[in-house]
Amino acid sequence: MSDTPTLRIKNVSKHFETGKGRVTAVDDVSLDIRQGEFISIIGPSGCGKSTLMNMIGGLLTDYEGDIQLDGKKVSGCQPEIGMVFQEESTFPWRTAIENVTFPLEAAGLPKEKRLARAYELLDLVGLSGFENHFPSELSGGMRQRIAIARTLAFQPRILLMDEPFAALDEQTRHLLGDKVVQIQNQLKQTTLLITHNIAEAVQLSDRVLIMTFRPGRIKRVVEINLPRPRSSEMIGSEKFSAYVAEIWADLRQEASKGLKETEAAAAH
Amino acid sequence: MTQTLPPTLISRVMLYRVTAALVLLGLWEAAGASGLFFKGVLPSTLLIGKSFLRLMGDTLFWSHFNVTLFEILSGFAIGSTLGIIAGLALGMNRYAGHVLEPVVEYLAATPKVVFLPILLILFGIGVGSKISLAALSCFFPMSLSLAAGVRGIKPMFLRVGQTLNLTLLQRIRMIYLPALVPPISTGLRLGFGIATVGSLLSEIKLSNKGLGHAAMQAYARFDIPTMMAILIVIFALAGIGNMLIGRIVRLPGPHTRHNAN
Ligand SMILES: Nc1ncnc2c1ncn2[C@@H]1O[C@H](COP(=O)(O)OP(=O)(O)OP(=O)(O)O)[C@@H](O)[C@H]1O
Ligand SMILES: [Mg+2]
Repeated sequence: MSDTPTLRIKNVSKHFETGKGRVTAVDDVSLDIRQGEFISIIGPSGCGKSTLMNMIGGLLTDYEGDIQLDGKKVSGCQPEIGMVFQEESTFPWRTAIENVTFPLEAAGLPKEKRLARAYELLDLVGLSGFENHFPSELSGGMRQRIAIARTLAFQPRILLMDEPFAALDEQTRHLLGDKVVQIQNQLKQTTLLITHNIAEAVQLSDRVLIMTFRPGRIKRVVEINLPRPRSSEMIGSEKFSAYVAEIWADLRQEASKGLKETEAAAAH
Repeated sequence: MTQTLPPTLISRVMLYRVTAALVLLGLWEAAGASGLFFKGVLPSTLLIGKSFLRLMGDTLFWSHFNVTLFEILSGFAIGSTLGIIAGLALGMNRYAGHVLEPVVEYLAATPKVVFLPILLILFGIGVGSKISLAALSCFFPMSLSLAAGVRGIKPMFLRVGQTLNLTLLQRIRMIYLPALVPPISTGLRLGFGIATVGSLLSEIKLSNKGLGHAAMQAYARFDIPTMMAILIVIFALAGIGNMLIGRIVRLPGPHTRHNAN
């Protein structure tokens, strides 16, 4: 493997012009991500996480700085990069399996191959037996897993996930975390996960990025030196708890800053 | 969107419908017998029924019927297709929508008969101008309802398409059209009704063929039962068309929860 990181984010900033003036969503963020690495970004609401992901994924193109994939500047969406969005994104007029075959249809894969791969992926995210259900017949968490399977279907080398489990209860979230670990063990993609959940970040990541409240900067990077493969069973362990406490201490300051600002804005 | 009702409710709905129909029939008969209207203006349902049966065996009537059906269907097909294309273009292109949509809205509000003289000049007296009036009639509701529909599509659906670098045609086929099935269905149903009106109007004004013409002939003979029977056929045609479109053009899956999603 060469020295070039898979993803290089260099001095990236993004400002939004709004009716009430200029909002700096992302401020001078730099980060190198190695092939196969699992990185979590954690930070208070509104700190620019989704904005950063949209820039990496090529959905937002007018920003300052540089984002490189294998040493080449990213311009527009790349087939190597797959995204799972924070909001609901399954197509309600397609069944679970048809949602997963969507990207494969677009790529012109023959029907049998599409279906074979989609069955495999639905199985991987724990949804076999629900192939012919429509999204409206499934729970929010199941729909989000369909979205993950749909993104995995075109085999992106890099996976960007924006709070994919935000709508889930704590227990299901841990079990899905196990699923993500298992999927990543199998497929070995480079993964960037945005989350609000510290335990989830520690369980899954090689590195956890803590972002500041507006403007969104990288406050700290925490290396997680826990043995792999990991599972939700280690969540109670001492070392695990130490990481969670360490990250929470940092995050607490930022979250309270965010809270104060929202309260101040509400008072106006 | 129509919701699926449990069977007990469906049979109750049927009961109400049949009762309503019977009440209406009774009122009709009573009004006819009351002497409040000119004799013969409200012929008894029995007479209308007789005329109806006679028409069913009348080849001349069927040739009128076929002419009208052909006009409606071809006008409807042409107008709806063009309406879908125009609606997509107006909705997808912010500038086109901004510039052209007010114009389309004005035209949509204008009764289409005023275009008849122009159509006559363009297509001559005959099937061409009748079809084009029907097409024109259903073009406007379709394009407007679709343009609004396009703007209402969840941005997330389009973003998924963007991450996959879909081509324009792929986006239309795989995202826009399925997402727009409800407004398309509404546009088609509205359009079918208006296309029917358009065809009949032009038949009444300038034709010696078609149901509109046949009804006017019966009227001129003061054969009110036959005229009524023809009107019933026209109602049935519009109603059946509307129902078929509603059945065929719909989203797959459980309908009751689609909107909640
Ligand atoms: N299109 C936009 N126009 C204007 N401002 C925007 C836009 N998108 C995001 N912002 C602003 O940028 C900031 C960061 O938004 P972003 O969605 O990236 O936050 P986030 O970290 O993902 O938050 P959350 O955790 O709540 O999802 C916010 O203050 C938001 O108001
Ligand atoms: Mg976000």
